[in-house]
Amino acid sequence: MKHTEQELALIRDAVSQMWGLVLSQLEKVKQAYLTNDAELAREVCSREKRVDSFELKIDSDCENYIALFSPVAVDLRLVLSLIKICGTLERIADFADGIARHVITGDCEQPTDTLKEELQVAAMFDTVITMLSESFVALESENTRLTGKILAQDATIDTIYHNAINILADFIQKDPSRAVCALQTLLVLRKIERMGDHCSNIVEEIVFYIDAKILKHRKSQE
Amino acid sequence: MTHKRTNQRIAFWTLRLLGLLVVAILLWILGFIVYHGIGVINWEFLTTAPTDGMTGGGIFPAIVGTCCLIVGSMIVAFPLGVMSAIYTTEYAGNGKIVRFIRIMTNNLGSIPSIIFGLFGMSLFVNALGFGDSIIAGSFTLGLLALPLVIRTTEEALKAVPDSYRTGSLALGASKLQTIWKVVLPSAFPNISTGLILAIGRVSGETAPILFTAAAYFLPKLPSSIYDQVMALPYHLYVIATSGTDLEATRPIAYGTALVLIVIVLAMNLLASLLRRHFGKKVKTN
Amino acid sequence: MIEAKNIDFYYGDFHALKNISMRMETNTVTAFIGPSGCGKSTFLRLFNRMNDLIPATRLTGECLIDGRNIYDRSVNVDELRKNVGMVFQKPNPFPKSIFENVAYGLRVNGVRDKRFIREKVEESLIGAALWDEVKDKLKKSAYELSGGQQQRLCIARALAVSPSVLLMDEPASALDPISTSKIEELIHSLKERYTIVIVTHNMQQAARVSDKTGFFMLGELIEFNDTKKIFLNPDKIETQNYITGRFG
Repeated sequence: MKHTEQELALIRDAVSQMWGLVLSQLEKVKQAYLTNDAELAREVCSREKRVDSFELKIDSDCENYIALFSPVAVDLRLVLSLIKICGTLERIADFADGIARHVITGDCEQPTDTLKEELQVAAMFDTVITMLSESFVALESENTRLTGKILAQDATIDTIYHNAINILADFIQKDPSRAVCALQTLLVLRKIERMGDHCSNIVEEIVFYIDAKILKHRKSQE
Repeated sequence: MTHKRTNQRIAFWTLRLLGLLVVAILLWILGFIVYHGIGVINWEFLTTAPTDGMTGGGIFPAIVGTCCLIVGSMIVAFPLGVMSAIYTTEYAGNGKIVRFIRIMTNNLGSIPSIIFGLFGMSLFVNALGFGDSIIAGSFTLGLLALPLVIRTTEEALKAVPDSYRTGSLALGASKLQTIWKVVLPSAFPNISTGLILAIGRVSGETAPILFTAAAYFLPKLPSSIYDQVMALPYHLYVIATSGTDLEATRPIAYGTALVLIVIVLAMNLLASLLRRHFGKKVKTN
Repeated sequence: MIEAKNIDFYYGDFHALKNISMRMETNTVTAFIGPSGCGKSTFLRLFNRMNDLIPATRLTGECLIDGRNIYDRSVNVDELRKNVGMVFQKPNPFPKSIFENVAYGLRVNGVRDKRFIREKVEESLIGAALWDEVKDKLKKSAYELSGGQQQRLCIARALAVSPSVLLMDEPASALDPISTSKIEELIHSLKERYTIVIVTHNMQQAARVSDKTGFFMLGELIEFNDTKKIFLNPDKIETQNYITGRFG
């Protein structure tokens, strides 16, 4: 393998590790939220720093790679998309961190398990995790066949989210005294929904890298 | 416009005709000599000594003598010339001494050959006591050939790319090693071309050997370097001007001239073939 | 380790290098960049005393290799040049066979052992990533090789005498892109065993192959720093202008 390829492989390696870390953050925060496990939530918060340092390292590696090797074509697309992907991963992790903080502070009573079930929170988490891990597979295998399927899952999340708004609206009407809790729950769901959007962005970057096609801002046509 | 073009054509054809004239003269001389001389050329002519007061027989001793003088003069001129060229191109830089040496070398080359003959007689024949001999003639002819050898060697050395020298020095080779192992081998083809040209020059010279080496008539071959020899150019001069029967020896004279001219031309041809051969090699680099 | 201390160098009256000091660590690649005539090649040639060949030059300051001043009177220049190999801009193999080209340095340094020479030639050609291409034609003339191969042959030739330092004066500027990238790969792999100093006109090349970069201008060392630093965030505005092409 050539020297430049080695350097690029090192960056990809770091991105893979970061990806794994973010996925495990998601698994953990899902667990923490569904079981109200403050301990696990604290672990998520403390590991958030590692995600941040991954972002900084990959950013500077990419800068150096561009400065030193002036990549073009596929290499340039890869580096550019890796920079964006790692920024997006960091934001996903930020949302995970936010949800974990919500679990820790517990400044209002958590919604009951039945409500959580009714809201399909677990399904939302799972869909995000699936999207993120499948997009990782797509990047590693340099295969864009799966990307359509991954992007379609964002719609599932959106549907669950919109249903949840209605459910929570009903909930507030029934028991206005718990409106704050309901709204905070909505914020959590909102964060998960945003994660789904970010996953879509990652997939778009992967498509840009592999096929050099730009999928951004084309939703209206689909 | 047409006027201009006519002038152009006249000039072109004049120059072309003049050029062709030179070739014609050369061919005429050659043709003349071949026509008159070819008749006497045969194996016997080339391998026997003159007989009957040089009105018969062959020119074998003269061929041998000329060969001896060629070899001898090259033994004198080649090492001396090559070494002094190495000094001026490789060691001396571009100072005053080198310029002086170069001017003197050129002057040496423009001295008339009869003066070399006189000088050779007084130094080698008389002062050093060699007598009329191969060695005295070789030294004299060697001196005559020296400027030619120096100049062609200098040019050959200059044609060696400097990158060979720096490459060699950068590997820790000394200057002498660089010259001996890289520069000289690369310059050798061109140097040998110069050597052959010098041989051509030397083999045709009469004046320098007139007083130093050449014998009027000597039916036996030389046995040492201190012997006199017959030589082709001088033999030609003798039988053309002072034979016992000039009319009878005329064909022999032409035959001798033919042999001499063939030797000289062959040398020149060899030189230009060598140059072309190695020139091609250099281009593919 | 190579160290230059307060180097000033003159060609006649021309002040070619002005008070240059720098250190080049062992087993690193140091690149010199800068506009033509900035003195980078002159500086490079100080380290194997190639400038000695040019008349009317003058040097002040110290050049140390592994702590020893190479301009000291006790230094044997031939020994020095054996230890500090050099590769030139234009490939300059000798008009000899491939084998003899590589063996040349050994022979002029007095090696007679034929088996040793054979082994060393093979080792050097392997080191220069040329062995596979020439192993069946070692007796052929070096000029039958392509330009890139010739340059790798010259690198092999330099490696054969086991130097510790390799100086490269624009080693790829006469080569096509593929040969260039082979040479760059080679430089990258050679740094494990040699201290390499390379002069290049090609800034990208400096960026790709070197660990440290020195930027020269008008005989001065403007900036000397980690290559990453030079190419991402140079300290001096002159460096920035040069590497971004805004120079002049």
